[in-house]
Amino acid sequence: MTRILPRTLAVLVALLAPVGGAVAADTPVTFSKDVAPIVYAKCGTCHRPGGAAPFSLLTYPLARAHATQIVTVTGSGYMPPWQADADYGGEFLDQPRLTAADLDVLRRWVAAGAPEGDTKDLPPMPSWTDGWQLGTPDLVVTTPAYTLPPEGTDVFRIFVVRIPVDRARFVRGLEFRPGNPRVVHHANIRVDRSGASRRFDEDEEGPGYSGLVANSAVYPDGHFLGWTPGQVPPLLPKGLAWTLEPGTDLVVELHMQPSGKPEPVETAIGFYFGNDPPERTPAMLRLGRQSIDIPPGEKQYTITDAFELPVDVEVQAVQPHAHFRAKEITGFATLPDGTQRPLIHIRNWDFRWQHVYRYVQPFTLPRGTRLQMRYTYDNSAENPRNPNNPPRRVYWGQRSSDEMGDLWVQVLTKTRADLDVLNGQFVTKVMAEDVIGYERWLESEPDSAPLHNSVAQLYLDLKRPQDAVRHFRAALALSPSVPAAHFNLGTALTLAGEFDAAIAQFEQALALRPDYAQAHNNLGSVLLQRGQLDRAVPHLEAAVTADPLNPQAHYNAATAALRLGRTAEAVGHLRRTVELSPDSPVPLIELSWLLAASPDTTVRDAALAVRLAARAAALTARRDAGALDALAAAQASAGDFTRAVQTADAALALKPANAAEIAARRSLYQQQRPFTLAR
Amino acid sequence: MRFRVLAQRWRRAGQLAVWAAVCAAALHRGIPPLHGAPAPAPSIVLRDPDGHLVDPFLAAEGRAAVAFLFASVDCPVSNRYAPVVQRLHGTYAAKDVAFWLVYPNPGDTPQAVKEHLKAYGYPVHALLDPRHDLVKLTGVTVTPEAAVFDRARALAYRGRIDNRYVSLGVERPAATEHTLADVLDAVLARRTVPQRPAPAVGCFIVDFVQ
Repeated sequence: MTRILPRTLAVLVALLAPVGGAVAADTPVTFSKDVAPIVYAKCGTCHRPGGAAPFSLLTYPLARAHATQIVTVTGSGYMPPWQADADYGGEFLDQPRLTAADLDVLRRWVAAGAPEGDTKDLPPMPSWTDGWQLGTPDLVVTTPAYTLPPEGTDVFRIFVVRIPVDRARFVRGLEFRPGNPRVVHHANIRVDRSGASRRFDEDEEGPGYSGLVANSAVYPDGHFLGWTPGQVPPLLPKGLAWTLEPGTDLVVELHMQPSGKPEPVETAIGFYFGNDPPERTPAMLRLGRQSIDIPPGEKQYTITDAFELPVDVEVQAVQPHAHFRAKEITGFATLPDGTQRPLIHIRNWDFRWQHVYRYVQPFTLPRGTRLQMRYTYDNSAENPRNPNNPPRRVYWGQRSSDEMGDLWVQVLTKTRADLDVLNGQFVTKVMAEDVIGYERWLESEPDSAPLHNSVAQLYLDLKRPQDAVRHFRAALALSPSVPAAHFNLGTALTLAGEFDAAIAQFEQALALRPDYAQAHNNLGSVLLQRGQLDRAVPHLEAAVTADPLNPQAHYNAATAALRLGRTAEAVGHLRRTVELSPDSPVPLIELSWLLAASPDTTVRDAALAVRLAARAAALTARRDAGALDALAAAQASAGDFTRAVQTADAALALKPANAAEIAARRSLYQQQRPFTLAR
Repeated sequence: MRFRVLAQRWRRAGQLAVWAAVCAAALHRGIPPLHGAPAPAPSIVLRDPDGHLVDPFLAAEGRAAVAFLFASVDCPVSNRYAPVVQRLHGTYAAKDVAFWLVYPNPGDTPQAVKEHLKAYGYPVHALLDPRHDLVKLTGVTVTPEAAVFDRARALAYRGRIDNRYVSLGVERPAATEHTLADVLDAVLARRTVPQRPAPAVGCFIVDFVQ
């Protein structure tokens, strides 16, 4: 299944044996002998028929026609499009770097009148794959057709597409095809499992929306997604896939440049699935400042940030992000012994090349290393890219007219436990920064409903539901007839413990949109928690009917069925929950209890119970007493009492609150007796 | 017409020496000079995309100015200016300026040019200049680039349309100086044409190997 891309191969070959070489100063330079090898290896990925570039350079007449252009743009560094300083940070994947010798050959060729030379000297033309570079995808989704206006400033538009999978899949890769490379400049791709992006999209007419990327639109499990011309990330190695759950939306932010005429835009994203569940998950660290506040005219505004690594990591890739006023970008690591390890340096930041820089050789940074960044900004009129003329005071914000300064760093930890430590420390830091940024932003745009929604979502993540309620209320006041606004407020009220108020909001959402699956689900769930089983059941059934791929809806329906004593129905819904969300320990544990120990013996399946409980125990790194307790019961149900006792001991070693119950079960297993749940 | 041109030539002959000295560098590079140039409208005959022969100066006889916009089929910068060129045409054609869109790249065949005009909705008359007669006359080097001849059919301006592009890869969100419009206003008002030494940014006209 592992494929080496022809393009990657070309780069590798280029690295091993630099093309062009040094041509002796007195030798005449010709296209066939000297220039073609450079053009084939370094330009052909895009400048070929059907490539991302506006014209091909593969034949002599074409290269001759653009000869002056070639020397000018390579000399200035505009082409090949590569922002990062070549001597800082190391070698990156897909780096179409021209050596000093290459540049010299091109200069001398044009100075000599761009001669063709003897065609017998031509190297073999490399073959490029047309269409999908990673092979035929397992699944293709397309963004809805959009028409880009002929002129104006660059357009940023966010498209939200449901990914149609009916069970969890393990994603090894994702390939983006721009469809219309003339105008699609880059794509920023995230996934949203919360539905928030979908609601943003629904609030705006037409295909896609032009607002903010929702907080819940994230890089999945620490994996970069995204596209810039010439870049196709290779398939992930076995064990590093990420899990795609049904009901996930793909969020594609397209950066488009008007071409001079109306342009149709319809991009395609191919998914490549594997059979193996993830064994390792990278961490996605983010350095950056959201307290950015640049006075007008300031030519050298600097932000710095640092994060001290609590564990050893292996650095895989970095991605800097900033907008039009950013000038110079530096990322580096200071090791515990004081030595510096460069990460990335971009002297002339260009917002339009949002590249993910993947290291050819990932490298280890020990615990105690400080990851650091330093970005500078030019908010004067002398910065031609400044969106404001005359310049104005600028703050942090997601819109391209605001400013940002992030450095994403993708790392792998040695163990799952290390990952938890790292994420625990990192999330606190990053969320504190997010709150600063969004609250400041709201001061200047108090009437932006999307902004209130974003801040509220953030407070929900920070487990501060009262603050979330405040902002969702503000959003609702700004757009009172939007069903999602009522839904959001209802959800936050539920988490804040204000159930009656929450029920009222869900009901209002449903009055505005009777087939609102998530509102049915949440309303049913709250009613269930309030013990109002009769009122809850119709909503839970409606939720499952309207969105049969929602694992939460099945889980809630299972809970209701159990309360009504319908064990078989509960098992059915839990099985569906586990299929749809295989990495969630709670449904795995509950289903295994029923399969192992239900008083209704017709639903039992001891072997399956052992498998599911073992998966739950593995997912929680055998540090959750509940998962081990369920596993012990399953093992006892399967007749393996020796193991059951050992597993129960492992659960008890964690000193859980229900130790007495587990100890009682353990003595049953010692007596070679399985445990049966009370009716 | 011819009499007038000859008269102008004669009147300006005295300025020739000064002009030649000032513009020696330009001449050296084979690029015609600006301002002070007597350069009366030469007779240039090019083909339009339908194959008809056209003398753009003769066809513009009596108009206050003649503007050439050099374009190419595959240059993204040139294409992005299509709406700007159309607006300029809309404004200034009505004010007695003759507008010509010129395709100087030999690879831009009559058929390709026809398709390009249609795709971008150009209402402007187009000419093909594969032998670079107009390129040499005006001294343009890239697409998009403009050249303007004044009432006397002297080359009054050659350069960028506006200042949106600073260099390839560096552009303003919108132009802040509308250079070509300023030039046309000046020519129409018989004012001195403002000279800003700002080279056009775009794609080199092919065969421009120096």
